[in-house]
Amino acid sequence: MLWIAVHLPLLSLESFAATLPAEMAAQPLALEDEHRIVGANAPARQLGIKPGLKRATALALAPQLTLARADPRRDACALDAVAHTALAFTPNVAIQPANDAVGAEATAPDTVLLDVQGSLRYFGGLEQLLQRLQRALAPLGHRLHIANAPTALGAALLARVHRRFDGIDLPATQRALDAAPAWLLGPGHAHWEALQGMGLRVLAELRALPRSGIARRFGAELLDELDRAYGAKPDPRVALVLPPAFESRLELFARADSADQVLHGAGILLDRLIAWLAAQHAFVRRFTLVMQHEPRWRRGDDGVLTPPETTLELALAEPSRERAHLLVLLRERLARFALPAPTLELRLHAADIAQRAPPNVELFPTPRSEREGLLRLIERLQARLGHEKVHSLAAIDDHRPELATLMRPADAHAVCRGRGSFPSATAQMPSMPAVRYEDAEPAPGMRVRPVWLMTNQGEPLQERDAWPLLDGRPLQLVSGPERIESGWWDMRLVERDYFIAQQPDGALLWIYRIRRLASKPSPGWFLQGRFG
Amino acid sequence: MDLFSAPGAASGAAPPAPPATQPEPPLRQALREAPHTLHPTLWLGHQLGRQADATCASGYPALDAELPGSGWPRRALSELLLRQPGIGEIRLLSPCLTAIQRSGRLVMLFDLPAALSARALAQLGFDVEALLVINTKALPCGDSLWALEQALKSGHVGAVLAWLPPRLRAERLRRLQLAAQAHDGPAFVLREMAAAEQPTAAPLRLALRPAGADALGVRLLKRRGPPLESPLRLALPPVLSRAEREYAHTALEPKPAALHGATFINLAGLL
Repeated sequence: MLWIAVHLPLLSLESFAATLPAEMAAQPLALEDEHRIVGANAPARQLGIKPGLKRATALALAPQLTLARADPRRDACALDAVAHTALAFTPNVAIQPANDAVGAEATAPDTVLLDVQGSLRYFGGLEQLLQRLQRALAPLGHRLHIANAPTALGAALLARVHRRFDGIDLPATQRALDAAPAWLLGPGHAHWEALQGMGLRVLAELRALPRSGIARRFGAELLDELDRAYGAKPDPRVALVLPPAFESRLELFARADSADQVLHGAGILLDRLIAWLAAQHAFVRRFTLVMQHEPRWRRGDDGVLTPPETTLELALAEPSRERAHLLVLLRERLARFALPAPTLELRLHAADIAQRAPPNVELFPTPRSEREGLLRLIERLQARLGHEKVHSLAAIDDHRPELATLMRPADAHAVCRGRGSFPSATAQMPSMPAVRYEDAEPAPGMRVRPVWLMTNQGEPLQERDAWPLLDGRPLQLVSGPERIESGWWDMRLVERDYFIAQQPDGALLWIYRIRRLASKPSPGWFLQGRFG
Repeated sequence: MDLFSAPGAASGAAPPAPPATQPEPPLRQALREAPHTLHPTLWLGHQLGRQADATCASGYPALDAELPGSGWPRRALSELLLRQPGIGEIRLLSPCLTAIQRSGRLVMLFDLPAALSARALAQLGFDVEALLVINTKALPCGDSLWALEQALKSGHVGAVLAWLPPRLRAERLRRLQLAAQAHDGPAFVLREMAAAEQPTAAPLRLALRPAGADALGVRLLKRRGPPLESPLRLALPPVLSRAEREYAHTALEPKPAALHGATFINLAGLL
């Protein structure tokens, strides 16, 4: 067996700093529990804040200190993301449980264990695997202690004392454990103080004592723990199972007033989402960001009660797990959107995923990369402008010109289908036959239609002696009439005689006259379109 | 050394000119005769500039002959000025745009000035379903230019055709021109005729006006090369049959007396 333990010594602080805006996270921060400091970041330590101080003392030392309560739930959420990242390397991932909580020493789990024996060959050896693991964990922004050892508990314990420990075999691990301080087994246990009082500094000294005595004094539990760490007893672990749907929350310490602040928090949630996706080689198709707002009981200016939360749903044309892309989409959506109230909490939810092989990395542009780039572009435009602003066209078989064209929100896939079908996007254009239009005629039987249409029925034209005028100048009818009589079945009957007319400068127009009826002597002229 | 001064034309204060018998340095000779052999973006004022990238043939041999690189430029804006939509601008661009669609690339239209007729586009040879139309008219101006800039920058779009808002500030156009450098294909921006009085960042600027039925007058206001004095008259893909066109042409023939003067003033006011 080969276990890697990833220990996060500053997990609580880092998960707290994540809830702060970036500029605040660099200020002195500390966590308290039961009025005592349990953690402080580097700027706070410089001011003399250290764990164990009373809350009042700490505030007296550093009035500008940002102080918050330690929150095991928040830490667990952050640790889940680390465990999910680890799942991309091996299916056997376990979270090392924290020692049983006794009294004030409640600690959240902060170590993830990976059994990588089965993955070594695939990743090309332990060193390679560790490098990739560290690279994968880097976006989460935690400080890491990494130990590898043949026993799970041994690795977990040694990761607490060493930044990097490489236990190549059991004897080496046992030697390292012998030299490890005895308090490793202590915190959280009832026998912590007794161990202290007996003057036992390192584990070797504890092991040197008679086993029966240890069992009598401290209970069989301690012996059991020792044996598992030293590999004298099997240490089965229950592998972590990935939840079927992703759900993560981030309670913002400082309320977010602007979209940028929301985006900062959402970026952290996205990192967690990406870890969850990477663990199952999946890509997200749709996710939801819920912003929980500060409760407001007054009505806003428009008399509408502020909603308790806002939901942003993002659907992707092409499943993705690229952080930058997802963040850009989110940014465009947030930019369009006015936050009704400051945001206190963010929740990210995703269940709709697509499992597929990751795309190959390509050096040169290919049809595939071009198609993906287009999809991204369309997605981005849809996210910023709205789906209803990005259209595609379709022709409908109808003689009435105002009904013959359908503008509908574009389906990115349909538009991109068949794009980039040529070997290279920059390939030469197909050669164009040089057509001379001087003597050309429209194809026989083809009624050429104008590209630009006036809306609906067209614009009424001025008349002089029943002759159409545009801008006060008479139009010259050069072609027509062509009768369009259609639509008796859907109550939008048209009976029109169409002409192609010429403006004095030669621009061509498509105009019509409503069919003359005895009941309406002068039905009038309308401009239907322009030949663009 | 001043690379651009003509050889042997140095003034008296400058170092003495080399004697005529001495052979001319090759760099100078190349500069004098064929600067484009040194670098594709160099050309002499009386020559037609070359395009570093391949251009897209416009489909009109008469126009190609006058465009630098014999076609619409890629990676640069082409500015078309016209009085109003509907004078034949789509028919002018259709050979180029449909060829781009046939090569499997996307054509995007931004901020149409009026409703499009799908059937008319199909008649011009467009694949109607594969056109993407972005309509940002109701949105602030920033959004429409943002969308256009994104499309140009992405480099995945085959051709862009955009109707720009009136009275666009020059720096915004310059920004679009910068974005267009990543765009591997022609980018047409259509603007109102009044923009002709302002300088443009686009390396190519054309003024379009109708020149009779199924014909378009094209004036090259700016290009990489010498100015073109007389406008081109291009025959467009026809709407009318030959007989109808002749009839329309005779109807346009200036009649003696008052109408002649009126036509003259009209054309002068347009350009």
